[in-house]
Amino acid sequence: MTRFTLLIAFAATALAPAWATAQTPAPAGDPVRGAQKVQMCQGCHGILGWRTAYPEVYRVPKIGGQHTAYIMAALKEYRSGQRSHPSMDAIAASLTDQDIADVAAYYSQAPLQTAVK
Amino acid sequence: MNMNRNFIVIAVAAAFAAGHVAAADIDAGKKKAQEVCAACHNMDGISTIAEYPKLAGQYPDYLAKALRDYKSGARKNPIMAGMAAGLSQKDIDDVSAYFASLPPVVQTRM
Repeated sequence: MTRFTLLIAFAATALAPAWATAQTPAPAGDPVRGAQKVQMCQGCHGILGWRTAYPEVYRVPKIGGQHTAYIMAALKEYRSGQRSHPSMDAIAASLTDQDIADVAAYYSQAPLQTAVK
Repeated sequence: MNMNRNFIVIAVAAAFAAGHVAAADIDAGKKKAQEVCAACHNMDGISTIAEYPKLAGQYPDYLAKALRDYKSGARKNPIMAGMAAGLSQKDIDDVSAYFASLPPVVQTRM
């Protein structure tokens, strides 16, 4: 019985930070504000068929119409170093949580750049 | 003579490049996508779960790069590491070609 109570207490303690994090409201993204923050993105993501030059050559992904949550996760992964690309690491490092939310809101609502096929 | 040789070099290079592009098999990619990718990314490449990216109409070379990075561990995601581990280089090219071939959504599903 005591062991069971301890287990419950331990589980609650262990999970509490996760709940607290989940309940902290993420900054709401504003696509209009985001539109003013994408100058540094458009140089690569705004040009159809643009390719990365380094370290590998592939076309820069289309992000217009992508899910907000995915864009935010990608930027935060670049910022934390979990994901790495020379240009994106540097750019993401300069972004606040609010910037990330705004930019993601903007791109999720931007039309895909694939109309021309 | 020199011109001629240049022409041959270019023709061979072009043929090689064309052959390389044609190597991806969309139908094989569709079959593989059904088995491996569709549960999360959907067969139409428009995932309905916001954490999972939409893939429809994405550049195939970018998709292939992402899959190679998941496979090598250069890009870390527990779910995708597991998925990419089971894909051969040909599977990667095929599923990338399949999702790239799909029409993207213009309207965002909210």
